[in-house]
Amino acid sequence: MPEHALTIEEQRAAMNSIWPSFSIHRLNRQTQSAYWTGEVRPQFGRFRIEIRYRLGDVPHARVLRPALIRLPGNIEGQLPHVYPPADDPTLCLFDPATNQWDPSMTIATTTVPWACDWIACYELWLMTGRWTGGGRHGSAVPGLSALA
Amino acid sequence: MNAPFSPQGRNPFDDPLDRILAEIALSAQLPPSLHGKAGGRYGAARAHLEADPAFKDQIEHFYPQGSMAIDATISSRGTDDEYDLDIVSQLGGRFRQMDPLAILLALERALKNYPVQKVVRQTRCVTLYYADRMHLDITPALRAYGTLDRESYITHAKGPTNSTDDRFVDMNAFGFVEWYRGRTPLEYRMAKAFHDHWLNLEASGLRADAEVDDVPDQCEFIVKNTATLALQLVKRFRNIRYATYRGRTPPSVMLSYYAGTAAKPDSTLSEMVIRIANWIIGDIEQASRCGQKLHVANPVCADDVFTDRWPETIGQQDEFAGYLKELVAGLEGVKRGDLAADRLMDWLRSRFGDRVVTKAADRMANEIGAGVQSADQRYTRKGGLLLPTAGIVGVAATPSIARAQPHSFYGVRI
Repeated sequence: MPEHALTIEEQRAAMNSIWPSFSIHRLNRQTQSAYWTGEVRPQFGRFRIEIRYRLGDVPHARVLRPALIRLPGNIEGQLPHVYPPADDPTLCLFDPATNQWDPSMTIATTTVPWACDWIACYELWLMTGRWTGGGRHGSAVPGLSALA
Repeated sequence: MNAPFSPQGRNPFDDPLDRILAEIALSAQLPPSLHGKAGGRYGAARAHLEADPAFKDQIEHFYPQGSMAIDATISSRGTDDEYDLDIVSQLGGRFRQMDPLAILLALERALKNYPVQKVVRQTRCVTLYYADRMHLDITPALRAYGTLDRESYITHAKGPTNSTDDRFVDMNAFGFVEWYRGRTPLEYRMAKAFHDHWLNLEASGLRADAEVDDVPDQCEFIVKNTATLALQLVKRFRNIRYATYRGRTPPSVMLSYYAGTAAKPDSTLSEMVIRIANWIIGDIEQASRCGQKLHVANPVCADDVFTDRWPETIGQQDEFAGYLKELVAGLEGVKRGDLAADRLMDWLRSRFGDRVVTKAADRMANEIGAGVQSADQRYTRKGGLLLPTAGIVGVAATPSIARAQPHSFYGVRI
């Protein structure tokens, strides 16, 4: 973990500053963990998202509602760029093989706008059948521990 | 002294719904390459007529009317790539002594060998059909002296022989265009954003098609305001809704009148479409309540009646009002976020046409996907996507806007 890893309080301050409509829940200073929920509308639909985070892990973003639509038989899979389980997927917003995320970064300038990027690409994928936001699909889920 | 108010308009690519509506209008309207060609064809047709002994020195004016004159040309009903353009040929001298059918026959004869695929005499004009699916209607007219500038009589005769229904019809297309332009001034920000997007598309299209000629040098804005872009969408909606109808449909000039009447500077594109539609709905409902057919006349020439051939019945106008209500309800639903993206596509396709909407969505997906990959996107505090073309001063100076750091999606196929 980098020496300059941000504390959960620092993450909260950044979220309050940039995404004031997001609510924080279950802030735990001992475990340095919390989760946020909020509504975004990148393009056409309103999406309620949840971001769970614990220092030492990566942020986990999910769409709480509406239910994500699948396109069976699509070349990108029935729902692109997510981690299982299929019935409650987590958005996969960065490539773990790169250094695109580390704990010195704020969730407010990474995970939230990345989730908005994902939603924008998802809507256009539903409209065209093409995922134009780039990225790659791996063969296995990296070792990400879920937040309790 | 205060500077005069000058509306800037709204960039249609700043809002998701406006963005796809603008892309739909782009896909339906006359492309830049044909826009340049149209001007050349006007001149060539006039030169051809003037070389004919019957028309030599008899053409007083030769000017575009209808959609081309107000920059609202879109593909014609039932097509995605055919365009109807209109010219008025104001005639003088010996033509003033001739009856309507004789004038139309003279025009047809003079154009008979014109180098196009076919030449067809219609009830009020002669149409030239070009190989690239452009149609040029040349309408002969006689100036009505002692009236407003260019108020004229146009010919109405079905032919091939004279009939008691043959007549001259009063019109002032030129005056109407002036009226429309006065009601819909240039909105610089909107026109520039749309124009730049339009030329970029044309350039990228040409790069993909080496057989097409050079990109025309478009120095002037073609679509100058949101009202005209909204008019194109209402016309496209009319074309799709009536694609399988036989007979007359709500006339374009009537829709243009409502766009001019409802025009409100600095409106968003979707607001403007809704405003035009609601204006028409209101007038139709008023007429129907009184048991009358809708009556819309040229605002500068009361005898030039835009609704002289449609509606034929009150039922026809009520049907159109019903279609428009459904359009308004749908757009308002999309604005509220009621439709998921896949249902939105179905809705748009059935209102504006499959091919045109598919092209529009593909272009949006390409542009936004490229923005995501290059991390050019910005988001408002409510998570609203702003394209790089949006009027953003700077992320640091604008705390209400968040920029995503570069990233690439991963995941497994589930």
